[in-house]
Amino acid sequence: MPSRSDLKRLYDVGAQLAPMTHQQQDWPYEISPDAYKAYLQPPHDVGGQASGPSVFEEKEEELWELNTYVTCEVLGWKGVWNSEERRRIGNNDLGASLYYGFPYYGRWIWAAARMLVDKKHISLMELLEKIAEVKARHAAG
Amino acid sequence: MPPAERKSLPARFEPGDRVRVKELPNLYYSRTQMYVRGVIGTVAVCTYTDLKPEDEAWSRDDAPYEQYYIIRFRQKDLWAEYPFDKDTLQTELPDSWLEPVTA
Amino acid sequence: MAHDHDHEHDHDGGHPAAPMVAEVTDFEILEIAVRELAIEKGLFTVDEHRKFTEWAESIGPASGSRLVAKAWTDPAFKARVLADATKASLEVGIDWSQPTGFGTPSDYTEFRVLEDTPTLHHVIVCTLCSCYPRPMLGHSPYWYRSPNYRRRIVRWPRQVLAEFGLILPPEIEIRVEDSNQKCRFMVLPLRPAGTEGWTEQQLAEIVTRDCMIGVALPRADRKADDVRPVHAALRPVPHEEAGR
Repeated sequence: MPSRSDLKRLYDVGAQLAPMTHQQQDWPYEISPDAYKAYLQPPHDVGGQASGPSVFEEKEEELWELNTYVTCEVLGWKGVWNSEERRRIGNNDLGASLYYGFPYYGRWIWAAARMLVDKKHISLMELLEKIAEVKARHAAG
Repeated sequence: MPPAERKSLPARFEPGDRVRVKELPNLYYSRTQMYVRGVIGTVAVCTYTDLKPEDEAWSRDDAPYEQYYIIRFRQKDLWAEYPFDKDTLQTELPDSWLEPVTA
Repeated sequence: MAHDHDHEHDHDGGHPAAPMVAEVTDFEILEIAVRELAIEKGLFTVDEHRKFTEWAESIGPASGSRLVAKAWTDPAFKARVLADATKASLEVGIDWSQPTGFGTPSDYTEFRVLEDTPTLHHVIVCTLCSCYPRPMLGHSPYWYRSPNYRRRIVRWPRQVLAEFGLILPPEIEIRVEDSNQKCRFMVLPLRPAGTEGWTEQQLAEIVTRDCMIGVALPRADRKADDVRPVHAALRPVPHEEAGR
């Protein structure tokens, strides 16, 4: 259980996820046609957007990243989902905040978990219990 | 893993044909980039037949297959300010997202 | 609100600051949970996961380097590559139907090789995600997957290439290949001057990964991609193969 001060810290971080427009966005009565289009543009469709020069650095792969890649691929191999479902869930359905806020393979594993629940292979409660169990196992060493 | 025999819609285009990418609204999912919509390009290659992304993304496996094409665009047609005449861009689109350009 | 995560990898403003990382991260936990549940539910087996992992650790850009070197020295092979690259890949030991019998779920079997000429230079990207010819080139570099590369290479290719150190004159057509569906692409660059009489193996050594993405050109005096910063993993894949 998070302490009350932990909870306050989580709320503060959450509040910062609001898109950086300069308008209040808590359920507006109406939005402009341009805003409607902007919200509905799939977050992964970034080609042509402006951005500054970048350092194109290399990144060493984490073990969990390799495992995530393989788990998602094997679920595809076994016909549990197809690649277009994967792209839809992991690039679009999660929304812009998670799309930009999560690591690359974080989106992949989020999508796999979501798919298993959506397709009724597991229940959400099973998933939550499993996450808690794995966490406890690792905390115990 | 496509089954051996699939009903496939006839290909409407062949290499060299000029095509315009449809300007459909965005909702939920797309593999057709915003930057090519409404732009005229030329069919460079007929590639393979498969489900269109809008069907495959919801696992509509009984939907018909259709032809995919690699389309070549002039960069100057894609980006109004593009400064180099010769540069091009290619991307791949299914038959449903294209419409013929006459004359 | 003050940032409370001054992690060692927090640098240069090009990327968001790395978050505080717990002993075992939430993503590691989630990955283990998903994998264990999938195995418990019989969706796949431990053996299948291991088989795919072995395949994933076996791939790398050296296969592509061999394909390029062979195409440079054998015109008949080059013709076969341009006619049917998936089939011609077998001649350099790459079977696109592996490891499942129908290919990988993400890479398909529609491989195409883009031939550069003295007046045409190709560069590949996937603006919508990170499509990449894994069976032939291995896993994509992270910058290839980054929003920054995907945003800019399609619209400002000459600026982005310049940031990689590649400046081409306007007489050379730059053709960006935005790989957005099921075809997978790699670039067959021009054989550089100064390599006359070289063996296939000598030639393969100068065909680096970046040359096959199209952000660099092979040079007789260079056997590795330009040095770039490396973000080290916290818990890397053990015994990761060299040359990645």
